[in-house]
Amino acid sequence: MANEVTPTAQAARLEATWARPPGWRMFSDVNNSAVGVWYAVAAFSFMMFAGALALIIRAQLAVPDNDLVSATTFNQLFSLHGTVMMFLFAVPVFEAVAIIVLPAMLGARDLPFPRLSAFGFWCFVIGGVFVCGSIFFDAAPDAGWFMYPPLSTEQSGIGADIWLLGLSFIEVASIAAAVELIVGVLKCRAPGMHINLTPLYGWYVLVVGGMILFAFPPLIAGDFLFELERAFDWPFFDVRRGGDPVLWQHLFWIFGHPEVYIIFLPAIALLAMIVPTFAQRPIAGYSWIVLSALGTGFLSFGLWVHHMFTTGLPAISLGFFSAASEAVAIPTGIQIFAFIATVMLGRVVRTVPMLFAIGALAIFIVGGLTGVMVAVAPFDFQVHDTYFIVAHLHYTLIGGMLFPVMAGIWYFYPFVTGRELRKHLGIWSFWLMFTGFNVAFLPMHLTGLLGMPRRVFTYGPERGWDWLNLMSTVGAFVLAAGFLLLVFDCVRPRRAAAPRNPWAAGTLEWLAPLPAPGYGLRAIPEVGSRYPLWDDETLSARIDRGEGLLADAEEGRRETLVTTVLDAKPLQVLRVGGPTWMPALAAAGLGGVFIFATWKLWLLVLVSGAFFLVVLLRWLWTGTAEIPEKETKDIGDGRRLPLHSAGPYSTGWWAMFITLTGDLTAFLSLVFGYFFFWTVHEDFPPSGIDGPGWQWPLASGLLVLGGWAATLAARFANARGAMRRARFLLAVGMLTGAGSIAALLAGPWLAGLDPTAHSYPAIVWALVAWIALHLAVGLLMQGYCIARSIFGRLTPRHDADLWNVTLYWHFTACCTLLTAIVIGGFPEAA
Amino acid sequence: MSEPVVSEVKRETGSGTDLWRIIVSPTIWAVHFLASYVTVAVFCEKAGRAAALAPAEVAVIAYTAAALAGIGWSTWGLWRVRGRSLTDDDFEYEHNTPEERHRFLSHVALMLCLLSAVAVIYVAIPMLYLSSCR
Repeated sequence: MANEVTPTAQAARLEATWARPPGWRMFSDVNNSAVGVWYAVAAFSFMMFAGALALIIRAQLAVPDNDLVSATTFNQLFSLHGTVMMFLFAVPVFEAVAIIVLPAMLGARDLPFPRLSAFGFWCFVIGGVFVCGSIFFDAAPDAGWFMYPPLSTEQSGIGADIWLLGLSFIEVASIAAAVELIVGVLKCRAPGMHINLTPLYGWYVLVVGGMILFAFPPLIAGDFLFELERAFDWPFFDVRRGGDPVLWQHLFWIFGHPEVYIIFLPAIALLAMIVPTFAQRPIAGYSWIVLSALGTGFLSFGLWVHHMFTTGLPAISLGFFSAASEAVAIPTGIQIFAFIATVMLGRVVRTVPMLFAIGALAIFIVGGLTGVMVAVAPFDFQVHDTYFIVAHLHYTLIGGMLFPVMAGIWYFYPFVTGRELRKHLGIWSFWLMFTGFNVAFLPMHLTGLLGMPRRVFTYGPERGWDWLNLMSTVGAFVLAAGFLLLVFDCVRPRRAAAPRNPWAAGTLEWLAPLPAPGYGLRAIPEVGSRYPLWDDETLSARIDRGEGLLADAEEGRRETLVTTVLDAKPLQVLRVGGPTWMPALAAAGLGGVFIFATWKLWLLVLVSGAFFLVVLLRWLWTGTAEIPEKETKDIGDGRRLPLHSAGPYSTGWWAMFITLTGDLTAFLSLVFGYFFFWTVHEDFPPSGIDGPGWQWPLASGLLVLGGWAATLAARFANARGAMRRARFLLAVGMLTGAGSIAALLAGPWLAGLDPTAHSYPAIVWALVAWIALHLAVGLLMQGYCIARSIFGRLTPRHDADLWNVTLYWHFTACCTLLTAIVIGGFPEAA
Repeated sequence: MSEPVVSEVKRETGSGTDLWRIIVSPTIWAVHFLASYVTVAVFCEKAGRAAALAPAEVAVIAYTAAALAGIGWSTWGLWRVRGRSLTDDDFEYEHNTPEERHRFLSHVALMLCLLSAVAVIYVAIPMLYLSSCR
């Protein structure tokens, strides 16, 4: 060790540095082990709420002509059930589990942006309570979980707005988690953990994080258009004024189908950790699982139209999507075969997680097979919107997600709490859930084939669906009983303490004593294999003695290692944020923007927005791109690593890159909207409506190039030490950027384009508004850099802020140019 | 998806398979899929439902040939990576060198080429059976 401190004193310092704030201030903690658990508890609370809604649905359908609830309440029940299960349980629980276990699995002390995780969590809770609470005021969304217009634009009340704004807000949390987890997997693995030694869970998280960046933004763009229609009457989906409801279906399902895999892959990832542990051997076909996870991730984007087989698209379009829907079965199957091979090659230990894992495979295979059936378009025409689909989707989601997550809960429960669950209760809960599930959903295949449509609130006795429905209702309650038994087991008093590494697992998360301390491992080990605990029996003792890297926190700062992407060579000691209220306050401010916008309380929206901005700036100013008190630091074995980095070597730059990739996807979805309208209209832009002309868009494009060039030049000037010139260039960039905004707005404004008249002016204005907002953020960033430079927080050597702002301008300038070409150039060419 | 600093890897091992490389062939699939779908959707919308598909068919076949050529080119490069094997020697996994990492990524990339080629062909098949925009 670098200085004369005993290992015990070092451990105490680590303990103190990573300690959770006491009392009610514990909610200002940002450590992954705290935030992850809150996240999981919140997700399961929402899940039980949505489960209760499902039981009311089943009670209503138990007998024909039932009048337990009214039709309007029933609409709210099933809409909220689907919405909550998908957006407030299935995706967030992935984020929760990943935030809890990923750092420990990778041998990191925390994820690279703990405050971002906390921000995502608070956004999720605020948005989730808002959406769920609506049903108590008879104001819940009632047009189904995919909100198809025109039903949702013409008939729905405030519920549709709550859905749109509440969920847009929650999507912020998903993007935040994607950024956090992708950078975590790529840059925060323990030294020596080459990419081919990374636990499979890490690979899946990487794939899913990537998918979120391309799947969620189209929905954000769709929500943006949808809310513009609902709040301001811009007719994107109104056929009478040149809109088209099918555009919403495209945008929704470009999100919605990958979403299914975003839910499924992380759950399968849990099995990829659980199965080897209980087969007591390494996973068979590691690289096959990696490649099929990647392959599934890609192919899952070619499936979205299979939700739209009955919208009247040409048969050839259906053919493409049908073919891709069949193709995705190949990589999905490979993963399952690899698990089965692992079980066959190993000596299986009979445990509850294994029971849930096998149950998951059994259920998921049924769901997968009916999936192949409905991927065949003519079959889908017959069963579309019937209970056959309800059965199919529950088999895939419960087999592909809920049961693996139950296995994961059982498996990681000792890791999180240091306690054990009781085996016989687990077996009971498994069989109740498994039996209940099949009794509830297997008959639905038949109910659907007999013609029962989904989402009807009751049916006549002459239909012959009564006994099938009664059976489903009984099954649903048995399933719920099994789940509640598991919940009881998790919260009951007097649970036995778990021994260390209770499952004799081989991966790093089981190295620490239980429950895992806030700082994770006592010291960060050098990793040399996929299952370090199995391959190195002295590892645990050595780490306990503090023999490893970063075994101390001498400056009292929370630190973790940043390593290279492929070979995990140490690059930097990353100082991560400690406890603060700022993420929660920022989430409250942003939440206010979305929530007040639901009731069009624009003044309060402005106040909340300003509050959010102030908190955000304070957060960035005090907590990011800090200049360390020394340049390098000994990591414990004589190697000295820098405490600061900027540009493509830093985690912050990659976070910006990843965020902007998602942002770009949203923007391209809007551009897709423009060309979608062009495709479906005989003449577009419609005759009789003058476009913005080419002059103003051209001016805007040229000015944005000026703003971009000035920012880039400022970065170069600053790096050369010419800080005054850098500030001047940034100021020039702000001026030209502001000019670009003005020119962009001038085009449609001076042409007198009325966004409520037709979809053409509406989509032009939507693109312009999107870009203007982004440019305004860009100006703010330039101003921020000028201030940082003046106050000595941005220096020629420590210029991470400027690198990130320049990156933002690369993206935004490209988007502005593309917008100028589309709105100014395309009508000239067309 | 993101993956930094290719040059750094080249310095270390002199072998170039990285995370960008393994997503080349699935990306070709995605571009082929989108191009085929958009071409046909726009063609059918503009030409009307009764129109014959023949012009679009030529385009899709051309896309397919180009995509398969691209995937083939990627496969060819990977095929020559020494030490690749069908199972990636996965039954004994005691490999902890940059070379082994390179072999692993090459194996993943190679098999993704195969999967992407199959998926490209799948997507092209409907084109051969349908003759109109109905």
